[in-house]
Amino acid sequence: MNIMFSGVSKIFEPDIAALVDINLNIEQGEFVYIIGQTGSGKSTLLRLITRELLPSRGTVAVGDFDLRRMRSSDVPYYRRDVGLVAQDFRLIQTLTVYENIAFAMEAMSVPKRIVAERTKDVINQVGLWRRRSMRPAQLSGGEQQRVAIARALANSPSLFIADEPTGNLDFHTAADVMKILFAINSAGVTVVMSTHNQAIVNASRQRVIELEGGRLVRDERGGTYTG
Amino acid sequence: MTTLKYILRDTWRLIVHHWVLGLLTLITAGVMLWILGVTTLFSLNLENLLTRLESELAVQAYLVKDNTLNIDSISERIQSLEYVYTMRAWSPSESLAKLQKKMGSQSQALDMIGDNPIPWNFEIHVRNAGDVEPLVEALKAMPEVEDVVYAGMVVRRISALSRISSRVALVMFLLAVIITALVVYNTIHISLYSRREEIGIMYLVGATRSYIATPFVLEGTLLALIGAILAAGGIVAAYFPGITFIQQNLPLLISSLIVERGIIWRFCALLAGFGATLGWVCSYLVVARFINSITRPE
Repeated sequence: MNIMFSGVSKIFEPDIAALVDINLNIEQGEFVYIIGQTGSGKSTLLRLITRELLPSRGTVAVGDFDLRRMRSSDVPYYRRDVGLVAQDFRLIQTLTVYENIAFAMEAMSVPKRIVAERTKDVINQVGLWRRRSMRPAQLSGGEQQRVAIARALANSPSLFIADEPTGNLDFHTAADVMKILFAINSAGVTVVMSTHNQAIVNASRQRVIELEGGRLVRDERGGTYTG
Repeated sequence: MTTLKYILRDTWRLIVHHWVLGLLTLITAGVMLWILGVTTLFSLNLENLLTRLESELAVQAYLVKDNTLNIDSISERIQSLEYVYTMRAWSPSESLAKLQKKMGSQSQALDMIGDNPIPWNFEIHVRNAGDVEPLVEALKAMPEVEDVVYAGMVVRRISALSRISSRVALVMFLLAVIITALVVYNTIHISLYSRREEIGIMYLVGATRSYIATPFVLEGTLLALIGAILAAGGIVAAYFPGITFIQQNLPLLISSLIVERGIIWRFCALLAGFGATLGWVCSYLVVARFINSITRPE
């Protein structure tokens, strides 16, 4: 799934410009870091891709969808092809690890047998099978993030959005999470990840898009981050 | 089928998760719908009683004593008045015979009068007590009519009672509906609010609005339905012993009351259906509004 931003600006009321005139193109299968200081517009950019926000100006196109013109009834179908991982994990606290992952497929009316198989697969993929009956509050931050990744993987998305997925994790746990993200990317899934962790960006030398005050100031393949 | 299973499971989860609130809603809805049902039944029975009394209200129109009167023509004119429901013409001899029969052993007193003093007269029945007064006015306007006799005060009281009972029933009905609707609305709103984060996550991972909304709508519908079934049970438990009591203590009233069990059961089924529909409408409104507000992109 490729992503195209054409002249995108996002102004929050009353007059706060979170993004200004962004033009970028991300091809299918790329791994892209969105970097920048806190408040630079990284999360806004990702939320425009997930259609939690609409641009004030310009066009955001993902695959065949023009997100601004998309009917609200089409949004769920679009999101089924987008895996989302956030810094705060966004797990349902009343459900177990297994249920948190399964419900993403149940929402798509996937038969129970297939849900069971696929849930087992993705839980194994993130190495949490032994924790499957626990609730999020019983897990560490890294484990919760892996549950969120497993849930995002459950519907086999073509696009993976990760908003500061390592923000709340120590270095080693963050490295584990990154390994999983690279594995996802190596299967052909586009991964767009926001971060301000220099070590992570510098360790893998992927495409880097840097934002500053809502403006795109750098778009470099194999780039680094010096902060 | 798969979706239905998931939705039913989620509905059950919702009810279990908020069981105290659910129980309170169920009890409140039950009490309100019970009041609604009892008020409606009371009103229907009162209506029956008033209709019977009204149908028994007769207006007696006495014609002037004149042998040249064309009774058929007068009869047709009275019949054509819009308030007349049924009418019967009584000849002087028939009227006298009726009076004699009514007086029984004292009827000999009538012989002392000599000639029959009763003129041709019409016994007229109306459909509603409210029709009596305008009918009397219309009859008095006819030159052939000498006198009109009717139970004026009774008519006015029945008419007023009928109006008041209809209004009281309407007010009670509206109150019960509004309170039940508000209780269901608030319960579902609390249920939604406590799961707003979860709803947001569900929408974010690709659940459709209807998939998210249906368990909440079902929860509201189910709570109102169970409340209505409890209310119906309460009505049955109270109504039939009440009828038996009236049968034993006020037997004259019983012919005006609804006593057929079939009608009461059908009424209860209707109440349950009404409760479920009310629950569905309220839940649907609050869920649609809530989900719209949290899924709308900024």
